[in-house]
Amino acid sequence: MTTILYHGQPNGPSFTVLAAAFEKDVDLDLRAIDLVAGERHSTALPHPLEVDQSIEGEGPVLVVDGVAMTDSVFLACYLDEVGSGPALRPADPYARWQMMAWCRYVIERVAPAVACLGVASAPPAAVPAGIVSADLEGRWRDAVAGRADDAQLTDSRAKIGQAVEKIETQLADGRDWLMGNFSIADLESYAWLAGMRGIVPSAFAASPLTDAWEARLRARPAVARALGLATVAHPEAIWAPGPEINRWG
Amino acid sequence: MTDVTLYHWEPNANSGKPMLALFEKGVAFDSHYLDLLNFDQHKPDYLAVNPLGTIPAMTHGQYVLTESTAIMEYVDEAFDGPRLMPADPVDQWRTRWWMKFLDQWLAPSFSMIGWSVFVGPSVRQKDPVELEAAIDRIPMPERRVAWRKAINGAFSAEEMAESQRRVALGITYLEQALGQREWLAADSYGLADINGFNLAYAMPLSQPQLCNDSLTPNIMRWLRAIYARPATRACWALGRTDLARRISLLEGEPA
Repeated sequence: MTTILYHGQPNGPSFTVLAAAFEKDVDLDLRAIDLVAGERHSTALPHPLEVDQSIEGEGPVLVVDGVAMTDSVFLACYLDEVGSGPALRPADPYARWQMMAWCRYVIERVAPAVACLGVASAPPAAVPAGIVSADLEGRWRDAVAGRADDAQLTDSRAKIGQAVEKIETQLADGRDWLMGNFSIADLESYAWLAGMRGIVPSAFAASPLTDAWEARLRARPAVARALGLATVAHPEAIWAPGPEINRWG
Repeated sequence: MTDVTLYHWEPNANSGKPMLALFEKGVAFDSHYLDLLNFDQHKPDYLAVNPLGTIPAMTHGQYVLTESTAIMEYVDEAFDGPRLMPADPVDQWRTRWWMKFLDQWLAPSFSMIGWSVFVGPSVRQKDPVELEAAIDRIPMPERRVAWRKAINGAFSAEEMAESQRRVALGITYLEQALGQREWLAADSYGLADINGFNLAYAMPLSQPQLCNDSLTPNIMRWLRAIYARPATRACWALGRTDLARRISLLEGEPA
């Protein structure tokens, strides 16, 4: 079986999938692409609906026996199913619901806020050719032009603060990991929040439990291996347009 | 006796997803109907169950679960009955991909149209002072914004056009996927179909120019096949309004 992972710098969704693959000892043909240059839209990659209309925006693409798959949490679930390393999801159905509901919160509320702030801090140079999704192309145009709605930026900063508070609360009972045992929730939360320390420092002004959790996470061999794939000094500062901010507000 | 209670509105959209999953699994549950248009979901009795005031919510013993798609995965894993998440890991991924696509991209567009033509006008007749007080009781700021927009009819022409664009495109994506396989995400009926049906069952009525037997035969085949399932009939029988009764249009044969 050939499994190819097209990934960007180990940040955001690319980080989640790389680290999950290494945690699970899944053998991958790794192909680094420049997400900020829009290489995900090139003809070198397969372009089924699930790639072109991925809600995640510019994330990694995993190709398994010709099937191209996207959306980092679900790719991590896939890797958890097929890999041999320790489980990345709880076995108990209720604990698993807690993990999936946590990830849904990150996907739906945190990730769009992070992507909005991320591209505003480091706008991409040009809108790549070949974007199929009109709404994703719109987010690229806004990002390149540095067009950002003040209300959305303010709300996005607030969402980062809320996410850190949620992590502090979750870790308050002394647990090492968000769901008790290490899980996809840890990877996905770190993936989106790591780069926010530089952009919304106030959110991390009094977050000792989150700080210690991040240090524990970075000390994991699989995480270190994923971060070691960076070809720039600060991969957490590299952003391409991500999921859209909920149109309902 | 059952230790499962589902708090839900009509078998439609988010409420209908865990309802139909429970019926398909054959899980007995206490149905607790909340009238969304009467703001039952923001009243103290329900906020004691789900402080966020979102519907649906499910209790199972001491557990309280929210988020309709996550509840469906829980229902499939926690109870006996036919498996609704496919066994193959790629099919599992595809199931989750579709559910996210429907939940975050297509459903918000459908609901923007639905709220502007149905929910908004339905509640607008109430006393404005009472209405404002009801909105103030909504716990989540995002939901307060949504309700104000719906009630005031404040969706811009641009927002509505974008929603209509997405609905039209989404229908072509569904037709394309259902042309590739019998069910939305796999070769067996499952969670993606349950999710999709709750969004799509009334499309032939609400979007007749885009969804019909000649333009989208695969969607129509899929909707009729789901409508024919005993669980679907039992689930929609819990509906109390014209919203749920729209399902009867699937009784017709292909034109």
